[in-house]
Amino acid sequence: MSKIEEVKANVEKGKTKLVPGLVQEALDEGSSAMDILQAMIEAMGVVGDKFSSGILFVPEMLIAAKAMSLGVNVLRPHLEGGAAASLGTCVIGTVKGDLHDIGKNLVSMMVGSAGFNMVDLGVDVPAEKFIQAVKDHKDVKIVACSGLLSTTMPAMRETLAAIKASGLSGFKVMVGGAPVTPEFAFEIGADAYAADAGSAAVKAKELALSL
Amino acid sequence: MLTKRQNLMETIKGGKPDRFVNQYEFMEIIMEAPLRTRPKPGETITNEWGITYSWPKDQLGAFPVHDEAHLLLKDITRWRETVKAPSVEFSDERWAPAVAHADAVDRNDKFVTVFFASGTFEMTHMLMGMEAAMMNLYEEPEYMHELIDFLTDYEMRYAEQIIRRIKPDALFHHDDWGGQIASFMSPDMFAEFFLEPYKKMYGFWKQNGIELIVHHSDSYAANLVPHMIDMGIDIWQGVMTTNNTPEMIKQYGSKISFMGEIDSGVVDCRDWKPEIIAEHVQKACTGCGKHYFIPCLTQGLNLSSFPGVYEATSRAIEEMSKKLF
Ligand code: B12
Repeated sequence: MSKIEEVKANVEKGKTKLVPGLVQEALDEGSSAMDILQAMIEAMGVVGDKFSSGILFVPEMLIAAKAMSLGVNVLRPHLEGGAAASLGTCVIGTVKGDLHDIGKNLVSMMVGSAGFNMVDLGVDVPAEKFIQAVKDHKDVKIVACSGLLSTTMPAMRETLAAIKASGLSGFKVMVGGAPVTPEFAFEIGADAYAADAGSAAVKAKELALSL
Repeated sequence: MLTKRQNLMETIKGGKPDRFVNQYEFMEIIMEAPLRTRPKPGETITNEWGITYSWPKDQLGAFPVHDEAHLLLKDITRWRETVKAPSVEFSDERWAPAVAHADAVDRNDKFVTVFFASGTFEMTHMLMGMEAAMMNLYEEPEYMHELIDFLTDYEMRYAEQIIRRIKPDALFHHDDWGGQIASFMSPDMFAEFFLEPYKKMYGFWKQNGIELIVHHSDSYAANLVPHMIDMGIDIWQGVMTTNNTPEMIKQYGSKISFMGEIDSGVVDCRDWKPEIIAEHVQKACTGCGKHYFIPCLTQGLNLSSFPGVYEATSRAIEEMSKKLF
């Protein structure tokens, strides 16, 4: 197995202790930082797919994302301009009134590891804060809203309406969370819905490339 | 007509129930029993474990506060220094309302029921946050085993007290093990960390006179049912429609019963309608049948977030009993 393949396999298995060293070895062997990063992105793609199909669970996903982020730390000085992201920026948050963040964090990790620069606004995020973040950050391609409470579905609707009303453009809006359905997403004017973190990363990439 | 208790037993033993068990009717939950401080709407409190909870007024419930300043357990390797179990001893005065409540129950009709929350897994994430609680299962498994044993021991010491005071017949025990479409962890990992501690704990309750263990997890958890049976759970409450309950009843019915199938998230909302509830109830009752099944909202207590929903659900279940029995 080549070093790069080893990096990939160990990110997939969430070997947090091994990945940084392997990334360094791959660099030492002359692999390019971009190729190593690409391998890790692919590994997270595999993790995402396995999560979507119920083969992997939350702990495996968290640990793989941690392994990747430790690997990225080693790569960072070798990546052009220091920025690893190439697909643009994704602003993410849990909507107002809602404090659940496990699902949102998983989505953030997966979308981040697909090649986006993540701006995580946390939980209980009012519409204005989403809008401000779009204004404050360069190259925002995706705004992602999460909601886990049926009682905060109206807040999600209001957030999307406020974003529309702000007149800002150049990005797409994605929504998700257990009570959100594709029908609801469509009804409130979202550009995309995804059922889980793995498919959210795939969708985000599609959306960004469609812009 | 059977008493509520008899009807429950007929239902979960595959006997001759004369109607559907209607939600929580068979449990008389002794909520007065002292356990720990809980916040009321609008309050932020720090409980006896040192965990801070906040319940903003306009929201459905309380939430553990896990910012830097409030998170209790920041480093699992030092849990022994940080996590101190509260005392399980309470004065006679503190027990008096619970004892009086239990004494007033007709035990032929209902089970005197202990309420226990948060369960062992929930306690780990209340202490350290959800992500740490799950990642440490990989990164620091030895410490996690130790902490889980410590929490199990606490619960058994509490059990000893409450059993002595109110001689309960049933236990209603919370521990959420999943989200809407998946369990939090794989069945193997779940077994590795939680099976033996729960077996020991539920075994202890049962050896001490508890007849019925009702476990709440309002989630998907169909993949954990074999472990639930192994632990000694009699009824899994909170079963969401994402589980395919009719199939589970076929597969496991004689070993465990299922209580739920009416998703609170869907019917318990601000603009709820009795007709919609009735539809969900009908689907649950016709789909799951009369044995090993109790139609119930998935919510973890005999109430609803929006006034009237619980009662409307009970009425719809009564109607189904009239139709199907
Ligand atoms: C864990 C949990 C908690 C934890 C949260 C810890 C945390 N840091 O987030 C704690 C215990 C603190 C908690 C508190 C509360 N909870 Co809660 N909680 C849950 C539980 C059990 C699991 C949620 C979860 O984490 N799932 C696992 C993750 C991985 O899945 P997920 O969040 O769905 O995310 C995935 C997808 O939805 C998607 N996704 C998510 N976001 C996004 C965003 C985008 C853009 C996209 C594309 C995709 C996407 O990808 C994710 C990963 O695959 C659910 C029950 C359930 N069955 O879902 C209740 C549940 C959501 N909670 C509920 C309630 C009521 C509360 C409380 C109000 C009261 C309480 N004490 O129970 C408080 C909340 C206060 C508030 N204002 O928010 C209710 C909501 C009911 C309703 N009417 O809507 C539920 C459904 C339980 C129930 N049936 O009563 N909760």
